[in-house]
Amino acid sequence: MSKDILVIGGGIAGMQSSLDLADMGIKVHLIEKLPSIGGKMAQLDKTFPTNDCAI
Amino acid sequence: MLDVGRHPNIELLAYTEVEKVEGEAENFKVTLRRKARYVEEDRCTGCGACAEKCPTAVPDAFNEGLGYRSAIYSYFAQGIPSTHTIDPDHCRQLNGKKCGICAKTCQAEAINFEQKDRIIELNVGAIIIAAGYDIFDPSLIPEYRYREIANVVTAIEFERLLSASGPTGGHMDRPSDRAVEAEIEALEKKAKKSQKALDKLEKKFDEPSAAFYRKYQAGEYKDDEDRKKWADKYAAHLTVTEPLEELKKKAEAFTVAKRLAFIQCVGSRDFRFYPFCSGYCCMHSIKEAMIAQEHVPETTSTIFGMDIRAVGKGFEEYKIRGGNNSNITYVRGRVAEITEGPDNNPVVIYEDTRERKVKRQEFDMVVLATACAPIKGIAGLAKTLGIELDNYNFIKTSPLSPVDTTTPGIFVCGCAESPMDVPESVAQASSAAERAAEIAFQPELEKEKAVA
Repeated sequence: MSKDILVIGGGIAGMQSSLDLADMGIKVHLIEKLPSIGGKMAQLDKTFPTNDCAI
Repeated sequence: MLDVGRHPNIELLAYTEVEKVEGEAENFKVTLRRKARYVEEDRCTGCGACAEKCPTAVPDAFNEGLGYRSAIYSYFAQGIPSTHTIDPDHCRQLNGKKCGICAKTCQAEAINFEQKDRIIELNVGAIIIAAGYDIFDPSLIPEYRYREIANVVTAIEFERLLSASGPTGGHMDRPSDRAVEAEIEALEKKAKKSQKALDKLEKKFDEPSAAFYRKYQAGEYKDDEDRKKWADKYAAHLTVTEPLEELKKKAEAFTVAKRLAFIQCVGSRDFRFYPFCSGYCCMHSIKEAMIAQEHVPETTSTIFGMDIRAVGKGFEEYKIRGGNNSNITYVRGRVAEITEGPDNNPVVIYEDTRERKVKRQEFDMVVLATACAPIKGIAGLAKTLGIELDNYNFIKTSPLSPVDTTTPGIFVCGCAESPMDVPESVAQASSAAERAAEIAFQPELEKEKAVA
């Protein structure tokens, strides 16, 4: 049995950490102070240098 | 984002903050406060019917205050979880007024005005901090007149204007023009109301108000009380319709912003504020200029910077492509001041250091590439977690263990550690996940970490 991990912050960094851990079979508790995850990146229209959609 | 919400191994606790952390690596006891949404998470379907009916309008934080949301809201349209939230500072019902429209509208019966904050206790082996950053407040730089000149905006505000899901639907409408349009809308509402009252009187006296008013001013109906009231009402109506017509005429000339200026290092590389380079802002400005030109091909952009720092895979090529294909001009020079010219056009005063000349140039809109500032509340969080911060209030790490904080078992990634862009944040996040996984799987490995 693995131990659980707490991730504080649901922006791009927190989401990536959570997904990596969760894919390894580790239970993750992801907390976000705002009502929805996404962080600053969700506010971006496109991202450089490929102009891909941020969401 | 969707994957995070769906993953069976992720318990997503949005609208939640850390209260207390005790213990040490491998065995932290964490106390969390799940703030009351006043909406039951297991019932709300996220349909949005409540938000449509809610009578209260609040500036929308997701759109940087450029648009409005209701007091019951989803943080943004595609937000995960889609559970709506009641804003306790603005909700009429929660502030003692009579309302409850959302509760009547909600078919899922999810609204619960009695909901309280809940305390959650967890045992975890390790903690990853990905608390992010704040945008530097450029109103601290008086010479840029942010908030004084309407058409001087921050990069993130411009981002919302560029976005198809943003407050302008992706049109580069200038804030000064949007303010006029909002005024027109308010005056039209007022005029409609006073016109309704006039319609009744016109019917009663069987005469158009304008014709009657001319006669009234010429001295007719001197002692007629009813007609005096009518005349007063018509005069009041004119004080609304006359400025309304003028504004409408002005609004006819409005076009989207096509001459853009981007000012680099707003708050960063500035010894008054943050001496460090925020790193991503040069590329961010180039990207915004490119996207704006994609929206309206005749758009031209000037990027004012000490130097353009395009360090990263494909970044320099991106910068050159912007210059060649997207009408971007790079000017080497720091902007001294922004003033306001005719038609609410910001005027940028700068030294072109290549030509060694002080110049002035007028633009439709100016975008400030604001610094990456440490997030508000980080000092409190650091204290709760028992970790150290650096002298700027980012989380302290060391060069050979860049995701380890000063406390074993607590890791950091993203802009909470230092300013960085999306690819770097993602790389650091995976690195922090790996460090945390070492504890989750094999705690004995943690005791003797080899450093290369």
